Amino acid sequence: MRLAGQLSRRPRQGPRGTLRVVDPSPLNWLYITYNTVEEPVRVTRRGKVRPAAMSRYRWRDGGRTLEIRVRDNWYPDGTPLTADSVRRAAQEQFRWHSPHPPGTHFNIDQRTRVEVVDDRTVRLHLPAVDGLALGKLRATHVMSERFWRDLGFGYARDESGEGHW
Amino acid sequence: MIDAPGPWASGAFALVEGHSRVDTEAVVTDGEDRTWLQTQDRSPTVRLRANPAYWDRRRGPRVAEVEFRNDVDAGTALDLVCDTVGEVDLVTEVPHAQAERVRRSQHARLVTVEAVRALAGVLARDADGLPLADVRARRALNLAVDRAALVRDVFGGLARPLAGLTPPTPLTVAHRTPDRLRGYRHDPAEAARLWREAGGASRPIRLAVLERWAAVADAVAEQWRGALGVAVEVSVVGAAEERETRRRLAAKEPRDWDVLLLEQGSQSADVPPLELHHAFVGRSGEFRAGPVDPRFEELFADLVAQTSQLRQVVAANRIDRYVTEQAPALFLVAPQVLYAVNREVDFQPYATSFELADTSLRDGHWSLAGR
Repeated sequence: MRLAGQLSRRPRQGPRGTLRVVDPSPLNWLYITYNTVEEPVRVTRRGKVRPAAMSRYRWRDGGRTLEIRVRDNWYPDGTPLTADSVRRAAQEQFRWHSPHPPGTHFNIDQRTRVEVVDDRTVRLHLPAVDGLALGKLRATHVMSERFWRDLGFGYARDESGEGHW
Repeated sequence: MIDAPGPWASGAFALVEGHSRVDTEAVVTDGEDRTWLQTQDRSPTVRLRANPAYWDRRRGPRVAEVEFRNDVDAGTALDLVCDTVGEVDLVTEVPHAQAERVRRSQHARLVTVEAVRALAGVLARDADGLPLADVRARRALNLAVDRAALVRDVFGGLARPLAGLTPPTPLTVAHRTPDRLRGYRHDPAEAARLWREAGGASRPIRLAVLERWAAVADAVAEQWRGALGVAVEVSVVGAAEERETRRRLAAKEPRDWDVLLLEQGSQSADVPPLELHHAFVGRSGEFRAGPVDPRFEELFADLVAQTSQLRQVVAANRIDRYVTEQAPALFLVAPQVLYAVNREVDFQPYATSFELADTSLRDGHWSLAGR
C-alpha cells in the first residue's frame, strides 16, 4: 500500500524537454527565486498559502509563537534541510532592516527569537502577535549552508542584504 | 534574489546559468519604513534545470530545462511564439490589445488567469484646486466610471470590475461577499451631484498613467468629462520617468499629477490588504497620497492581531468595506494576466506569480522530436 501510494504521487514521467520563455515582468527576479528556492510556505495556483518546506504549523501562546514542523527534505548538494536551516534563514533575515524589495511591510519583527526544538521543529517567538507572519514566511528563503557561505543575499556582491532578499 | 547560479536551494529547479536580479534604491515611506525602487539586471540567458531531489513529485518538475531568453524584446517574442516553432514557447504579460492576435496565431494559444492584481488610481487627496480631500468628490470620481465599458472596450472582456481593492478571484469570494461589499455602480447623475456638492474643480484634473495602461486613462478621462463636466489632462509616464514618479510618490514628495493609474498585485489571496490596501492607504504605503487615516490604521492593526484564517477574512473584509466607502483610490478593474503559449506546452498559470513546476510538454513539442 505504501509503495502504491508513493507511485500515485509521482508524475507520469520524469522531467523532459526544454521550455523557452520570455518574461517581460519586472518581477522576473522574484519568479526565478520562487522556481528555484523553497520557503516554509508557498502559494498555490489559485493563490492560497500552503506549507512547502514545512509540513505543518500551529500557533501557540495566544498567537505569540509560531511553531513549524519542517519537512524531511534535501538540498541538491546532498545536505539535509532541517529545523536549523529554517533558523538560519530567519536569523539571516533579521540581520537587516529592510531585506525585502517590496518593503518593510514584509518584515517579521527583527526581535523575534528563534528556537530549534529538535531536528524537525522550530519555533518563532514573536514579540507581539502577528497573524500575517505565516504569509510573510513566503519571503523567508530556506537556503543551504553553502549558499550562506559562498553567496548570500547580496553578501558576496554588496556586503549587504538590504533590499536584496 | 539569487545573484549567481548554484545548487543553493530545494526548489523544483536549480539555477544553472545566468542571473536575474534588481539593483535597489531605498525610499523612506514613513519613519523607519522603507520600500525599494528596482532596476532590472538580467543576463542574456537564464537557465534552470529540474531538481531531481524535489520532494513534491506530484507537482513536478515536469520540464527538464527552462531557458529564459532575455535577448529578445517582448514584441519580437510575441512574433516568435505566434509565428515560429522552437524559438520561444511562452511569453508572459501579453498586452490585452494583442490577445486576438495570439488567438489567431498558427502556433500559440492564449492562456489567461484571474490574477490577484488591481488596476487602480492613486488619488492625491491633498491636491490644490481640487476637492479630493472631500469623500464626496472621491466617490463622484468612482461613480463616473463605467467599469463594464472598460472591461468590454479596453480589455476585450479579459478583466473584471473592481469593488474596493480586493481583486475578484475564486479564492477572494469570502473577502467580497455581496452583503458586505458593494462596488461603485456607474451613475453619472449622482456623480455630478456629489462633485458639485464638494465644490467642483477650479482647474483641470491631471490624470497620469503608466505607459501600459494609457488606453484606460483615455477612457476614464472621457467618462469624467462626460459625467462631471470637468477638463481632464492625460499624461503618460514613460519607462524613463516611471522610477522617478514612483520615488516621489513613495517619499511623499510634491507630485505633478492628481490621479495616477497603476497596477498592484498581491503575493497571495489570503490577506490582500497586506499588499493592496496597505500600499494605497497605509501610513507607510508606497502609494499613499494624502494624510494618514487613523481609522484605517486601527483596522489594519486588528487584521495583524488575528491568527485564525476565518477572522483574518472578516478583518480583511472590514478593511475593504471601509476603503471602498472612503474611496481614497479610484477602483477600476482586475485585469486578467495573459500568456501566449506554444500549443505543445501544457502551461499551468498561477494567480500570483510565474512558476513552472507543474508545466509539462506534450509529445509533439519541438524539444522532444526524435525521442
